[in-house]
Order: sequence, then structure tokens, then C-alpha cells
Amino acid sequence: MSSLMMVGASSAAGKSTVCAMLCRLMRRRGMDVVPYKTLNLSLNSFVDHDGGEMGMSQAFQAWACGLEPDCRMNPVLIKPHAEGRMQTVIAGRVADGSGLRERAFAEAMGCFRSLSDEHEHIVVEGSGSAAEINLRHSDIANMRTARATASPVVIVGDIDSGGVFAGIYGTYMLLPEEDRALVKGFIINRFRGDASILDAALRRIEEETGMRCFGVMPYLPFRLPSEDSLDMGAPGELEGEDVRGAWMDNLDRLADEAERSLDVDGLLSLMKDSTA
Amino acid sequence: MQWVKEEVRDELKSGHRGPDESCQYHPCHFDGQDCSWCFCPFYPCHRPELGATVVSKRSGEPVWSCVDCEFLHRQDVSRAARELIRGEGIEDPDDPRLAGIFDELIARFNTRAKALMVLGATSDAGKSIVATALCRVLSDMGYAVAPFKSQNMSLNSFVTHGGDEISRAQHLQALAARMEPDHHVNPILLKPKGDAVSQVVVEGRPYADHDVRSYYEEFVPGEGTAVMRRNIEYLMRKNDYVVMEGAGSPAEINIYHCDIANMGAAKAAGADCILVVNIEKGGAFAYAYGTIMLMPEEDRSMVKGILINNMRGDASCLDEGIKELEGRLGVPVLGVLPHLDLKLPKEDSLGCRDIDGEGAVVAVIRLPRLSNFTDFDALELEGANVRFVDDPAELSDADMAVIPGSKNTIGDLEWLKGKGFPEKLRELKGKVPILGICGGYQMMGDRIDDPLAVEGPAPSSTEGIGLLRLSTVFDSREKSTVQVEGEAPGGGRLRGYEIHMGRSDRHGHAPLFRLKNGDGWRDEGCLDEEMMLMGSYVHGLFDLPAFRAFALSMAGKGPKDGEGDDHDDSVEEGLDRLAEAFRAAVDEDALLGGMLGALR
Repeated sequence: MSSLMMVGASSAAGKSTVCAMLCRLMRRRGMDVVPYKTLNLSLNSFVDHDGGEMGMSQAFQAWACGLEPDCRMNPVLIKPHAEGRMQTVIAGRVADGSGLRERAFAEAMGCFRSLSDEHEHIVVEGSGSAAEINLRHSDIANMRTARATASPVVIVGDIDSGGVFAGIYGTYMLLPEEDRALVKGFIINRFRGDASILDAALRRIEEETGMRCFGVMPYLPFRLPSEDSLDMGAPGELEGEDVRGAWMDNLDRLADEAERSLDVDGLLSLMKDSTA
Repeated sequence: MQWVKEEVRDELKSGHRGPDESCQYHPCHFDGQDCSWCFCPFYPCHRPELGATVVSKRSGEPVWSCVDCEFLHRQDVSRAARELIRGEGIEDPDDPRLAGIFDELIARFNTRAKALMVLGATSDAGKSIVATALCRVLSDMGYAVAPFKSQNMSLNSFVTHGGDEISRAQHLQALAARMEPDHHVNPILLKPKGDAVSQVVVEGRPYADHDVRSYYEEFVPGEGTAVMRRNIEYLMRKNDYVVMEGAGSPAEINIYHCDIANMGAAKAAGADCILVVNIEKGGAFAYAYGTIMLMPEEDRSMVKGILINNMRGDASCLDEGIKELEGRLGVPVLGVLPHLDLKLPKEDSLGCRDIDGEGAVVAVIRLPRLSNFTDFDALELEGANVRFVDDPAELSDADMAVIPGSKNTIGDLEWLKGKGFPEKLRELKGKVPILGICGGYQMMGDRIDDPLAVEGPAPSSTEGIGLLRLSTVFDSREKSTVQVEGEAPGGGRLRGYEIHMGRSDRHGHAPLFRLKNGDGWRDEGCLDEEMMLMGSYVHGLFDLPAFRAFALSMAGKGPKDGEGDDHDDSVEEGLDRLAEAFRAAVDEDALLGGMLGALR
């Protein structure tokens, strides 16, 4: 079993899409791959065949892997429903009581292990930004998951919203040293124009952090089911009869582009045995 | 130079004159200049910021030249000078007390504006709104304020009275500063034309077309820098404060050396910089840290503070993070601005974007707890134009109105009522189709009972919008989560899923869908074809073509209500509320005492 984790420099950096793309690329190489995300903070959810509630993005990633969505792929779903109040869904069902965080994390690691018993590769997605220093002790979705699953980590940064070098550099620098050791590289997402103008800046970030740049994904106007509430109705093309089919066609077009723009072999070679 | 002395003697005795439009040279300095002191009673002042010693061509002697000085042509300075001179009863141009009066004027007013630069860690950090707030706050304090942004890329331009094209954001800031905007506030406007080429508008008029490379390699180092400098200089001479706004992020290290919108402009004005980060986007601390640390050291020291913007909920949860950030950077966090819902003209936002189809306009109400907006993705397949709206007036030209799912039906229903949506929806009933999904469906009914306090902090009973004869009760904490399949009205396959608490009873309406239920069927939702009302618990209802066709064909029928409401009146109110929120959120000692206090 091996795993690779994508974390974000910001919330809407494109982690879900990059993970879905990676799932799709591995599936197309005939690999046995499953998506996983410890915790989704989202109001866009899906219901699996057993009525288990899970994040829409993992349902989509499951389809990308040729799998049926399964709420183990997103064991914790948090749905904010009033100022400061949240509904917590653990393993597909609403949970309440105290000590939810630790219970959720234990349950999540159980789901991860059971997925790793059934599949060879796991593509892990973080949640929000990985370097929320005010949440360092309560965040179970990012570096705590990375440590517990011994997953190598790649930071995804959105260049379209500006400040991506600062975001990636800052995310890396604000992590504690033991976490930094897990972070192997970064991907620039949603670039418009000729990527060669970024070369000098990418080299500088590589030199200052020791991370490796795994590529620059161009901005492509293909609509996918985004789960992040910030990304409400991102623009893009969609064609066909069944929207799930249309989403998958778009994902294949993104995956084709990823083959050209990203060092896919480099990313796959990062995957290594997990100790979870 | 005896005749000059005599002119000054006359000026000392006469009253306030204001702009002298009858003068053949008017305006010799700037529009709205005060002409009371055509000859300066304080000449020669020898203040380096107001003039310079030059060598006279006629005599070959050094002489004090202040032809570009506009200090005494400002209305406020001119009036104050008059009052002080009157107060002392000075009538003689050689009176030694004039020097003391001049010192007092210099102490009271700025001879050159103080510049503040509002930088953003990302494009949508909220620079523009913070700069707008600063303009209003400073104007409220009685200062002459001008906004400035050297370069703006936008298709949404505004045309000034003088016919100059400037960005909408700077126009709004000029309103906040209570000044008449002209091209100086936004001297370079880039209007994308497609294929990476932009039309460059300089000082309000089309100048040239450039692509990214030629813009940065040719225009910026030459004309662009000169344009930026001369317009900053112009505003600096006429105001107490120039509130500058950066563009994008100042830490784009690939174009840092040719960036005239951020630190380039800040350096030209000697501005104190504030960095704004958007906490809602996630990664705000990382972006703040990275932005400042990637700047060269001499620029870093110009950043005097950080503002955290767009906070929802209790800001105290940020305390630990703020302390660590301040410790690492040595730059104070000046305040945490809450998320504000203001009726101000929207500018280009990267945050939420709608589907820009050519077809039917589907207006989806942007509930604060909107759930499952992926429901509307599929409408793009029909070329629909989907907009997320938060103002009832925006429903006026829609072909279909949708109340979407909500994570908190009762809370969002209260929000709808506060915004005046129910009245608008009742007005639209029978004219355009109205669809409620899940929580939105519940809201369309007559009432919602929550005896177990499932939704709110206490048991409640709430009146619905009253479009459907439907009542909903949250009589259990059970959550229904199920995948469904069935038939759309008029036949055709439907597939989706339900996620909800509460159950609804319809009274008299036909069902909208027929769903498979074990071996049989069950009815689901409400349909009133005559009044074009539809409601259902099913998410993903547009995924397959049958229901899309049904709903959109209905949207093609109704006559449109074309009356748009006027928003202009609310702009002033919005600016005042913004300034108030800013004053409440920002540490006045840190910001007003430190940076703005220089003038007090």
C-alpha cells in the first residue's frame, strides 16, 4: 500500500481537482487507486449506496477511480449550520456527544486502514490550508493525517488568485520542522499564459525551501463538481446528457493536460509504503 | 519688486476670494484652486518641499522659485491663512508676525500628502474595500483625501464628468473620500481584449495595445513609470492623504522588478504600507508571512501593519495565530475586519462566479448557508445563465427563481425575510417559475415547526413564505439520506439524492416527482403548474435532461417583470456603515495613532 497527499496553500487551491486528476491518471495506467480525505468542511455532500453521507469531491474522485462512492473515503464531514454551530457526520452518519475530534480521527484512521486493505494506492486530500497556525493543535485533516499515514505531501497553490509564491513559501515555512520533512514539493495550479515567465521564481522557491516543483497546471475552463463553498459555480464548459458523464469527460481532458504539464512519474515515485 | 509688495498689501486687506473664474489665467494651478493669495505673503519661505532655489536667467543671481507650489491655493489652507492674518490684524507685507503664521499653517496642514498603500496578499484580499474604508474614515476626520491606484485591469470602467475612463473601484473610493474623481486616481487602466492583449488607457484616454510581455518590457519601464509618478505627485500636492491601492499581490517575484502597481508606487510616494489578507480563503497566515518575507529587506520595512479581513464569527480564535505571526515578522496585526454585507457596487470578484450562458436567466438566492450548489452545474448543459443573488431586486429580470438548499432552514428563512425576498417572490408568483429545493422547498410552505430545537437554539414555530400549501415539522433528529430514482413530470428519468431533516406535508398540491419506493412508487414534492411553483427534497434534480427541459420550458413562458430597483441611494449609507465597521475593528492606537497620527 502506498499513499500520496495533496494539501492546499489556501482553501480553493484546487486540491480536489488535482487529486481527482491523479486518481484518473493512475486509473488510466491500470493502477488500483482509491481517494481519501479525512475531513471535509462542506455543505455539498453526496449519499453513498448505503445512505452514508460524504463529501461530493470524494464521490467524484471515486468515479474517477472507477469505484462506487463509499463514505469511508471521507469519514468526517462537517456541515456548518449556524453561527458557530456544526453538524458532524462520522463514517456517513450524524454524530454527537463530546470528544468528537478524537473519536472522528480514530474512526477516520480505521477507514483509511480498511481502504488500504482493499486497495494498492491511496490519493489523500488535505482540507483548507495546511498551515493555519491558530488551529495547529486541533487540525486533524492535514499534517496530522500525513504523519499518521506517513504520506509524502505536495502543496497545491492557486496562481489565478494571486500571491501563489508567498502562499506556498509561507505554508512551508510556518510548518513545524518534523512536518516539513514530509513535504516534498509543490504544484502551481490554474496558470494563464506562457509558464516560462515563472521559471526564475519557481527556482527561487525551490532553493529557499528545498521543495521540488512538480509542474504548472494551466487554467482550463472545464467545470467539475467543486465542493468548496468559495468556488460557487466556477465558470467552465460542460457538455452532454448526464452531468456525471460530462464531469468525467472534463476530468479526462484535465488529465490529458496533466500528462503534459506535470511530472506525473515524479509524483508517482513519491508514493511510498505507508505505515498506517 | 515694490509692485508685488503692493499687491500683497491689497490681498492682506481683502476678503476670501475662492476660485477666480474671471481671471484669464484661471485655473493656473488646478481646478477648484483658491485665488485669494495670487501673490504669496510668505515669499520666500525656503521650504524645500514647496520650491527650490534656481539661478535667474535675467540677473544670473540665485532666486527662490515656487511656481509649482499649490499649498496656499488649497481652499482649506487659504481660509485658515486669512483667519490667522485677520486675528492678528496684519496689514503690512513686512510684518514679522507673518513668519509665525506660516509656521502654524505648516504645522496644521500637510505641504505634501501622507501616502498609505493598501496591499493585498491575494487578488481578492479586500484591498479595495479597505482602501474605500480608509478614504471615508479620513474624510470623516476632516482631511482632504484622494484614492489612487496606478494600474487596474478591468472591463468595468467608469466615465468621469470630464470623459475620462477610470476603474469602478477608484470611483467608489472617490465617493468615499468625497472628492470629484478624475483620471489622476487611476491613470493606467488595462482593458483585456482577448488573446492576452490589453488596451492600455492612460490618463483616461486610449493609449496603446500591449500584450503582457511588451507591457512589462516596453510600457512599464518608460511611459508607465512616468505616468505613475506624475499622477501620484499631482495628488500628493493637493491632499492631506493619498490612499493608494495595490494590484494583485506585491510578492509576485517573477515581475517584482517591473511592478509599478505595488511597491513601485509605494516607494514613489514614500507610503506606509498595510497588508490585507482574506481569512475566509484559508492560508491567511501563510500568505501574510510569505508576502512579507519574499520582499527585499528595504521594502519589507515599509510594511507597517497587517489587516485580517472577512472574518466570520468570533475573532478571538485567531489570537494564537496572530501572536505567532507578529512574533515571527515583527509587524503588528492592526485589526480583524468582520465579513460585511454591504450594498456597495460589486467589482470583479474572483470569489463567486456565475454561469454565463446565453439562455434562460436562473436566479439562485445566495442563502448564507446555501447547500449543494452543485445542483445547478447541470443547467450549463442547457446554456442557462445562472446567477447567485442576494438582493430581491436582482430577481426582477430572471426567467426562473430558485430557493436552494440550506443547512439551516429557519435561520436562512429569517435572512430571506430581512432582505425582503418573500414580498418579491409573492409578486413574481405566476409570472416566472419558482423552484424550492430541500430547505428552499421547506421555506416555500406556510409554516415550519421545530418543537425539538433541531434547527435553532430553542423550540420555534416560523411562518414560511406561503407560496405552497405545505407545512414542515422537525419532529425528530433523524436525518434522511437516501439516493432516489424516478420520473420527472411529463415522464423521463430522474436521479438524485435527499439529505434533510424534518418532514413536509403538502395540502392539495400535485406531486412534482414519482420516486421508486421498494417495489412500488411514492409521490414527492409539490407542483402547481398554473402558478409555476415547484418544490422538492431531491438534490441533483437537474442532472438528467428530463427535469431540466421541464423547468426551463416553463421559464420560457412567463412574462418578465422588467423593473429594476435603483441602488444608488444605498451607496452613501453603505460607505458610512463600512467606515463605522472599520473604526470598530481596527486598533485605533496602532493605526490612527501610529500611521495617521502624524497629522494630528
